[in-house]
Amino acid sequence: MSARSCTGGRLRHARLQTVLTVLGLAVAVALPVVLISVGDGVASHELAQLESSAFQITVSAAGEHGIRNAHSMADSLDSIGPVAAVSPVLSDAIDLFPPGQAAIPLLAEGVEPGPFLATLAPEETALFPHPLPLGDPLDSRHWANGTYQGPATQLLMVSSPIARQDHLAIGESVILAAVPNRTGGVPFVLSGIFGLPPAVLGPTAAFAALLPLSDLQLLTGNALGSGGVERDAADTVEVGLSGSAATDPATVTRVAAEIQAAYPYYAVTTETQAISQEEGAAAILEGFYWALSSAALAVGLLFLGLVLVRRVETRRTSIAVARAIGQPARQIARALALEALGLAAVAILMGIFLGAAAVGLLDLLGSPTVREAAGLAVFDIGTLALLAFVVSGLALAASLLATRAALRLPLGGSLR
Amino acid sequence: MSLPPFVPHPPLAVRAERLVKRFRSGGPEDRAALAGVDLSIPPGAYLSVEGPSGGGKTTLLNLLGLLETPTEGEVFFAGVPMGSARERDRARRRLTGVGFIFQRFFLIPTMTARENVELPLRALGRPRAERRARAEELLREVGLSRRLEAYPHELSGGEEQRVAVARALANRPGLLLADEPTGELDRANGEAVLQLLEQLQRSSGASLVVVTHDPKVAARARRHLTLEDGRIVSDSAPE
Repeated sequence: MSARSCTGGRLRHARLQTVLTVLGLAVAVALPVVLISVGDGVASHELAQLESSAFQITVSAAGEHGIRNAHSMADSLDSIGPVAAVSPVLSDAIDLFPPGQAAIPLLAEGVEPGPFLATLAPEETALFPHPLPLGDPLDSRHWANGTYQGPATQLLMVSSPIARQDHLAIGESVILAAVPNRTGGVPFVLSGIFGLPPAVLGPTAAFAALLPLSDLQLLTGNALGSGGVERDAADTVEVGLSGSAATDPATVTRVAAEIQAAYPYYAVTTETQAISQEEGAAAILEGFYWALSSAALAVGLLFLGLVLVRRVETRRTSIAVARAIGQPARQIARALALEALGLAAVAILMGIFLGAAAVGLLDLLGSPTVREAAGLAVFDIGTLALLAFVVSGLALAASLLATRAALRLPLGGSLR
Repeated sequence: MSLPPFVPHPPLAVRAERLVKRFRSGGPEDRAALAGVDLSIPPGAYLSVEGPSGGGKTTLLNLLGLLETPTEGEVFFAGVPMGSARERDRARRRLTGVGFIFQRFFLIPTMTARENVELPLRALGRPRAERRARAEELLREVGLSRRLEAYPHELSGGEEQRVAVARALANRPGLLLADEPTGELDRANGEAVLQLLEQLQRSSGASLVVVTHDPKVAARARRHLTLEDGRIVSDSAPE
């Protein structure tokens, strides 16, 4: 084999190594691009939802349906000065039996119709008819001071996907049951349908139903406890403040403290706290994404360093000639640093492109939940610039390996 | 701040004292390539170094050119000890005072003939226009004014060696070191390169040391040195 073809083979081999390393580094860059863009997008969306909600305080309890005396509590909280609306919400799984059809499992929410509408975020409000066609706006007549002896409305609203899928029309009679058995069920009349882009209410809301709180409590055994003692259970109570009080953190905190004092055994959280918790969780997740990504980046950059050293080896004669002539070490280091930066720049651009393409593919081909998350991805220029800065810095560090190798080449031996 | 004018470096007096160079042999004892060489090269000298393979010729040239450090002894440039100086200082001295011509030319394959000749001037930080002018002047002198933009693989062996000669002269060195400069060339090209080298050596006043196997090449020098087993066994004009 001639010296020239041998050199050609080495160069091709080195080129292949370089291409593979740049590809590997690009994949390592793509990983944080996907994780951070999707993670940040979802977190921002959730924060925006929190910030746009029309309630500022949430009361919750440990365990399932842990709040007791929800109707009375709502009446009591309503009397606090700046409070505009108090909405107890009970969530439970039930089955809906359309005439002559099999059971449809649903997530049902029991609400007081008036306060429920008043505590919806603006983009949610538009999805519901006003007023909600669920009868008594405060659900107090059927509840009847905890006796549940008042007239039940037995009205029901379902989301548009259910209505479409099962051909349900307003005015139709259906059976609702807490168990998948029609015989133990209660007849309800479908009084309304609410519209539903799943991105707004989340994928589970696609199969949701809304009914008066007292009706759902009776249906699911959350109205009365053993011996007929009132339970009047709910999962959360959302409290909205009126006017400027809603945007005044001091007032929100003061009202929350007042509620907490009245109900010390429940958790009372403010929107500010929830946002702060959400931001904290988002920051932890982002740190996790960076940690995960840095492992991939470290491997990629290790290979970049090795490839740069290998390139020095491939060009040892040229480098030795330059050094024999007297080229200063700093010029050699600068040339190798520029080479490393060039490779890193290609990898960064490819990585960002790959990351964006991966998010696009997830948006196109993923499961509904994945598609929804991918659709929320945010490609923040600041984050991408930080990523590029970090990778460039590490590439410069990798070039030091190559510089060391170049400056340690034995000149006499390399030029024989 | 502007760069000082680029003037020829004065011919150098180079002196080697008790030079020893040992290499690791893999065995229990190191192999001595040079075993105590004393040599003085006055400014403007034309010296040939002959001897059998493995006699230490190239090692002596590498030590004189500050490419390697001696195991023992010292190399003085104009009276200044340089052989065992820091690599940074030796590199500076190579850049400003020494020109190398290798048997296998060692042109940078990714650079044109002109860029190869400009290389020492770039390392010196000379301005682009000055580099171009100097490279074109030198390539004209070696008869390659029409091959300025040719890459090494587009040149014949004789042309490559002439580019290498031009590169060695680009920084106006005081000491020219040529290791088998005609070893890869046919007789005609070898003769042409030697004539060129001698002519440029005379016009620049630099000292010229040629390592060769070929007695005819060696005979052209004014002073002849023979190395065997790392020792000088004959010197036609010891100083």
